Order: sequence, then C-alpha cells, then structure tokens
Amino acid sequence: MSTKEQKERIELLQGTLDLLILRTLQLGPMHGHAIAKAIEFRSDEVLQVEQGSLYPALHRLIKRGWISVEAGTSENNRRAKFYGLTAKGRRQLLVETGKWEKLAGAIAQILQPASPEEQ
Amino acid sequence: MRRRKRMLEALDADIREHIDFETQDNIDRGMSPEEARYAALRKFGNLLQVKEQTREVWSIAWLEQLVQDVRFGVRTLVRSPGLTVAAILAIALGIGVNVGIFSVLNGMVLRLLPVPHAGDMLSVNQILHYPGRGDRSIHNNSGWFSYSEYLDYRDHNHVFAGLVAYEPYVDATLAGGNPNPLIGTAASCNYFDVLAEFPTHGRGLIDSDCASRGGSAVIVLSDELWRNRFAADPSILGKKIVLNRTAYTVIGIARPGFAGTEPIPSAFWVPVTMQEALEPGSNRIADDNMSWLAMMGRKRSDVAFEEVRADLSVIAGRIDQRHPGRTTSLAINTARFLSSPEERQFVIPVASVVLGAFALVLLIACANVSNLLLARASVRQREIALRLSIGAGRWRLVRQLLTESLLLALAGGALGSAIACWSFTRLMQFVTAHLPSDFPPLALNVAPNMNVLLYAFVLTLITGVVFGLIPALRSSRADLHSSMCRDGGLSGSGNRGGKFVLNTLAGFQVALCTVLLLATGLLLRGLYYAQTVDPGFEIKGVSTMFLNLGRQGYNQQQAAVFMNRFRERLRNIPGVTQVGQAECAPLSHDFSAGEFTLPGQTGTFGIEYNHVSSDYFSLLGIPIVRGRGFLPEERHDAPGVIVTESTARKIWPGQDPLGKELRELSGRQYTVIGVAKDAQVAHLGRANTNYLYFPSGTEDDSRSYVLVRYESSFNGIQGRIRDEARAIDPNIAINVTRLEDYLEVWRAPSRIVAALSGALGLLALLLCSIGVFGMVSYSVSRSVREIGIRMALGASGVSVMRHVLWQALRPVLIGAVVGIALSGAISGVLSSMMFGLGTRDPIAFICVPLFLLMVASISILVPARRATQVDPVVALRSE
Repeated sequence: MSTKEQKERIELLQGTLDLLILRTLQLGPMHGHAIAKAIEFRSDEVLQVEQGSLYPALHRLIKRGWISVEAGTSENNRRAKFYGLTAKGRRQLLVETGKWEKLAGAIAQILQPASPEEQ
Repeated sequence: MRRRKRMLEALDADIREHIDFETQDNIDRGMSPEEARYAALRKFGNLLQVKEQTREVWSIAWLEQLVQDVRFGVRTLVRSPGLTVAAILAIALGIGVNVGIFSVLNGMVLRLLPVPHAGDMLSVNQILHYPGRGDRSIHNNSGWFSYSEYLDYRDHNHVFAGLVAYEPYVDATLAGGNPNPLIGTAASCNYFDVLAEFPTHGRGLIDSDCASRGGSAVIVLSDELWRNRFAADPSILGKKIVLNRTAYTVIGIARPGFAGTEPIPSAFWVPVTMQEALEPGSNRIADDNMSWLAMMGRKRSDVAFEEVRADLSVIAGRIDQRHPGRTTSLAINTARFLSSPEERQFVIPVASVVLGAFALVLLIACANVSNLLLARASVRQREIALRLSIGAGRWRLVRQLLTESLLLALAGGALGSAIACWSFTRLMQFVTAHLPSDFPPLALNVAPNMNVLLYAFVLTLITGVVFGLIPALRSSRADLHSSMCRDGGLSGSGNRGGKFVLNTLAGFQVALCTVLLLATGLLLRGLYYAQTVDPGFEIKGVSTMFLNLGRQGYNQQQAAVFMNRFRERLRNIPGVTQVGQAECAPLSHDFSAGEFTLPGQTGTFGIEYNHVSSDYFSLLGIPIVRGRGFLPEERHDAPGVIVTESTARKIWPGQDPLGKELRELSGRQYTVIGVAKDAQVAHLGRANTNYLYFPSGTEDDSRSYVLVRYESSFNGIQGRIRDEARAIDPNIAINVTRLEDYLEVWRAPSRIVAALSGALGLLALLLCSIGVFGMVSYSVSRSVREIGIRMALGASGVSVMRHVLWQALRPVLIGAVVGIALSGAISGVLSSMMFGLGTRDPIAFICVPLFLLMVASISILVPARRATQVDPVVALRSE
C-alpha cells in the first residue's frame, strides 16, 4: 500500500454503509463479496469497506425487511447467497438518499466559503 | 427467534465463501495462494468481532448478556461456598427482620379492610376549623361526625352506593356468667349491607331497626362471641340477651373472621338508635355538635375519587352554614384500619422510627457483605485485570459484578422473607396471646400480601445494589499493570484506597451498632429508673378498681346508690383500713384537664384536675402542707380546691396561695383551701405539671376509681372485693388490681422497645463482630509480607501485634465515636416518646461503648494473633 493510496482512501461514515448496500442492490441481487467489490469499484476505490463489516449490516437490513436473501449460483458456478432489495427496501432507499443529499448539501454549504482561502 | 437461528447458522459458511472469493480474486491478480489468503483475511477484518456483531443484530443483547452474567455469577458463587453462605445468611437476617416488621405495619395501616371489594370503601373524616376556640364535643375522635351530619351526608350525596356510620369501642356488660366487659359497635342499619358482610346465621340490621330512637333492641353477635359465650348454639337466634340492663333480641351471627372495621374486634353490633339504651345518661344521637360516629362509604364503581371529594364538600359547606364561623375540610381515604388522620398522625412517626431502627440492621448487614465482597475482589483482581486487558468495558464488568451481588441479595432476600412471613404470623399469635389480660385483643392480620412481597422485593434489589456497588466500582478500576505483574498486590501498601474503604465500612458498622445498643442501654436504664422511682405517694398496699357504671347501664341516681352501698361493704371487709374514691386513679392513664383564669387577668392556665374523696390524701400518703384537706361533707360543687405546691409556686410566685381565687372558663369560681405536696399522680416521672383537686360527690359515682388500702394479702382482698360488688349487682363488671400494676402500663412501651432494640442491637453486634473479624483477618493475610519484613528486621511479636491492633482498632474507635454522637441526637427524639429515658444518662453512654469495644477487641485479637505467628522466612518466600 503506497502512501498516496492511503491518503485518498476514506473510512466510511457510521450508517452510510446501509445506504451504499441498498443503492448497490438496486442493480439486482448480489452475493456478499460482489457487494463489497461493487462499492469499492463504483467509488473508484476511494471508499474502503472493511469487508467483514458488511455482514452485520446485511443482517441488520434483513431484520428490518429491506432486503431479502435467497440461494443461487455465482458467476463461477459456486453456490452462494444472493441478497436483493425488497419493495420496502426500495422505498427506504429513496428516503435514505434524500436524507443523505440533504446532509451532504448542508455540510457542503458550510464548507464552501472556507475552501477558496485554503487553496 | 427461529429465523434468527437459521440466519446465524449460515453465517460461518457465508463468511468462508466470501473469503474464498476474495482469495480467488487475489490469485487472479497474481498473488501466491498463501499471500492471497492472508490479504483476503486482512481485508475482511476481525472475524470474531464480525460474528459477534452479526449475532448482536439478531439478539436482544442485554437479555443474552444477563443470562450469561447470571450463569457466570452462579458459578463464581458456588465456587466459594463459605463466602456465599455467609453473605446470604447476613442478608437473610437483615431482610428477614425488615420484612417481618413491615408485615406487621402492613397489617396495621396498609391492608384494606377484610370485606368484599374493600378497594371501594372510603373512610370519611372531617377537620373542623373555628376562628377561636371551638365548642365541639368530642367522643373518641375529633374527625368523626354527629348523627345529624351523618344523615345529611347519607341522604344528599350522589357518589356512594351506601354510607355507614358507627360508634366503635362501646363498652357493654353481658348479664349472666362472666361479667367482663365486651367491646361492640353501635352501627347505622345499612352497616352489613354496605360492607357486604352478610351474617352466616339469621340476618343483619335492616332499615326498620333504625326507624325510631330506642325502638328496636336487636343485636348481631360476632362469631367469636357466639362460640365463646353461647357455645355456638344456633337456637340463640330470636332469644333475648341482656346487655347493660337492656334486653336485646339476637337476630344474626356475623361471618367468622369478620370483627368490624377497627383494629380492636367488635363483639356485637346494635342499631345506632339504641345508643342511649347502651350508654345511659348520654344522648349522643340528639347532640348535633358532637363527634362520635365514624363514617365509611362504598363508592359507586362509576364515580372517580375526585368526584367524591367535590360532592361531599358541597354537603359540608351546607352544614357549615348551620354553624356560623365554622369551616369544615374533609379527609377522604381508602378505608383501612387506622385510617383517620388523627390515628395516622400518631402511627406514622412511630412506624418510621421502628422501620428506621430495623433498616439500620440491614445497613450493617450490607456493610458486612460489602466487606466480604471487597476482600474477595482482591483475590479476583487478576481475573478482572485479565478481562479488562482483553477489552471488556468497565460498565460490562460492573454489570457482571452487580449481577453477582444481586444474585446474592435475591437468594438472601428470598430466604429471609420466607422465614419472616412464616415466623411473624406465629410471633404475632404468641405476642397477642401473652399481652396483659386487660389489653384489648387486636385483630391484626400480619399474613403477607402483595404489599409485603413488593416491599421485600424492592428492599432486596436496593440491598443488592447497596452492598454490591462499592466493591464492583472498586475492583473494576484495577490498575492493570500492577495487578498483572505483582502477585495480586500482596504487599498491601499498593492498595491504600482499598484499605480505606474497608476501614470506612467497618467503622460504619460499628457506628450503627453503637446507636442500636445505646438506645437499648438508655431504655434499660429508663426501666431501672422506673422500678426504683419514688412517685411521691405510697403506691404499695393499695387496691384499685375502675367502675364505669354509666357504661354498664346505670343512670346517675342508680350509680350513687350502688356506690354508697359498695363503699359501706368495703369498709367492713376485715383487713381494709381505708376506702377512697377518685375520678382518676394515680398513674391510671386517665386525665382530665381544663382552662382556668385568675380574676382580673386575661391569660389562661391549662391545669389537670381530679375529683377526689376526702380520704384520698391520707390513703395515698400525700401530705397537705398548708391549709386543710377536704371534709367528708364537701361535695362536687363545693368552692374550695386544693392545689399542688409547684402549681401554687407557678401561679402565685412568692405569695401565699391560701384564699386565692381561680376561675374556670365556664365562669365558676374557686378558692384555694389547701396545698398538697407534689406527687407523680398523673404522669410518671413528672411531678410538676399544673394540678389541682376538686372534692368528689355523687355526680362522680357513675364513673370513678375506688381505692382501698389493705393490710392483709392482696389475693384474699381481691376476691372479697369482687364478691361484695356482686352481692349488690350480680352482673357487675369489675376488675380489681393493685395500684402498683398501673406502673406496668407506663413501663410497657419502654420494655417492648427495649426488648426490640436489644434484640436488634445484639443482631447488629453479631453482624458487626463478624465484619470486624473479617476485616482484620483479611488485612492480616494481605500484609503477611510486610509483617515478615518487620520481623526479619527484628520487630518483636508484641510490637507487630500492637501495630496490627492499632490498625484495626482505629476504624472501630472512630465508628464508636460517630455512633455516640448520633445516639446523642436520636435519644432526644426517643425520650419524648418514652418515659424515663434519660438523654444524657452517663452510665449507658459509658457502659455500652465499653461493652462494644470489648467485643470488637475480641474479634480483632483472634485473627490478629495469626500475625504474630508469621514466620519471616516463609512469608518472604511466598512471593
């Protein structure tokens, strides 16, 4: 791991992992490893997911009824569990996305005036 | 729950799969298989933590942890059985006595009445306010009502399904057989219907029984009276029995176990309209301005409590308009034994003092168990340090340790409560069976109910937290480095804070113990004083009997005739030297008092008084120091009075009291004709209350004490006196006792409290010496190395002993001093409640602490001897 790489990678904010999982599953059911890969890939590898933390999050979402789970076979013909969005999860994704945009917007607004001076 | 199991079962496989995928990816990127697997694992993170966190998603975490804690706690406790048993016993003792005493108080003031749907029964009391002095007559209780007031409330309220009024504690003598007085009730005729207490035989009172005053002489008997006096004869129904010289038809027998709604069981019920027949000479029914009827209503179930208050207040306001200047406020409570404000005012402070004393014992037990746990915590320091160092949160550890102490508390509490509930029911039976014979029986139900169980449970939880918190907080703050490296801090010096806590707890126990023992000591001294006190009159060789002829159905004229003949017959008994009569016998707990003024002055004096016959003074050996005594021909309305010396000094300081005038508030005027020496006739231990004597006359015959001085044996005289009384009226109820027996009544409260606090004090002492013993043996075992070094450096056994003794004695001494200071404060409160308790009694204040120190020294010396037997070689090698 180079120093540059470390600087650019960002630890996930608490609670945002749920949102990312929901968004990722919007593309269709996936197994656990694929979800982790997709998050890293789609963020140009900036977001560093400790892959293990995926599982408590997945189970949390199952318990809330936002995602469902079924058995299937992976691309290389191995048996794996596939997680998919439920209707409830789809609605929740909209709500969570809205919330996140509000939050991000608010934080950006606060940071904006400071940015030019610092650069 | 099943879904949870299914989800978690697959978790391991899912994770393994995930890592396989990642490994494969890494291999595809050109890593060696081994490297690829490591990278995959690293990327995955802490496997155990992930599993744990996932499991937590599905679990009710706290419940699981609780189960875990309980399991672990039980294992730990079972592993050290000695400590566990000691702790459980200490707690059982502490909680047991507390639950026991609470169940007694519960029976007295908290239990609902023993009638169906007792929660709807409300007791109504009134408090009357007057701008100046009220003119209200009071019989029994100032919160009660007159008959006309009762009728107003009964007929105009909209909230009660029924409202009853009754006069409890009516004395009556049953003709034929044993003439001991019965205590019964004059009740409104809806009494049985409203209470929903339907007699098992015959019927209860019905409205027509109360239709006219004195018109319906019917009676319902209690089951107990029916069995004891009438041999449970069912044919008694419809027959007549004679009570207080009036014949009543028996119409019913109450349900077994129903004995009215007062703590003293009622033997019978008659219509309230029969009051005058039952108590000749006092027509209370006609008196609109007399408090004599207790009121109790059954609330309609659709009515709220506040509506009751509002509705009754309207009626109270209407009644107030008939009595200008008077305002009434109502006190409405769920009906219980002792539910009137007047009774509660007395019971609640007494109950809190008693509960406080018992709580002290529990506190000592708590301090004791705390000490035990702290001592053990030092042994467990390694375990705890280990758990802290591998990442257990402090809160988690505290919770674990508290769970252990709660387990201990629950076990002790359950054991203690079980024993208390079992033994106090029997204890009460024993106590009530052994009360003095003239003591009224108490209908007290001390059997446990929800209140008691709840109290026991809450007390147990509080106990668990109280004794567990300090050890838990302390031991979870372990200094990781030192406790892991050194051998649990055997040197002792490393744990100064721990020692301080131990010492404080021991000192605390000693202080509480001192308080309890000192209270006992003061009471015992008070009893001793009461035994030896000179009351200022000759108490021995005098027989006394109380004759309330008015309550036995005599009118005043009949009473005068009876008394005249009775006195005559008494004088003729051989061995009797003098016969006297008084309104209140000395120390009989019977007082009369009035307000007096001096002519030409506005201030008033409260003076206790007595109406006495002319031979009263010579019979009791009270000298007349100035002027003269009463003459036999001086009667009730004679203007001459006799005052006591101290009264004369207070009212006319420096003047000759003879010939001085006194005026009663009613306007009657008296002249002082004599001065009697002070005597403790009204209150034992107090000779200087304002006191004056009036001459007695036939007006006093319907209620008076007869005093007889005798020279032969009391037993012979007692029988003769009774026979003489029965020769005049075979149905007379008479109880002949010795005058000195009245002293018992004054001593009884002190004796009961002394026994109680003595028993508690000894319990406390036992707990306390175990506590001190534990503290010393613990600190000796902790400082074995230190002692070894001292001895290796040449210290003698004696000097080591002195060191250990001083270390242990210091907290004991501090505790004792604190305890003495506390007792000084508390004894002030106690002395106002009990006779003869000297607040600054030097003997008690010296002897009790000395005794305590002696016991403490023994419990120190035994373990301390071990310190001198330390072999320095062994001690230093034990590192």
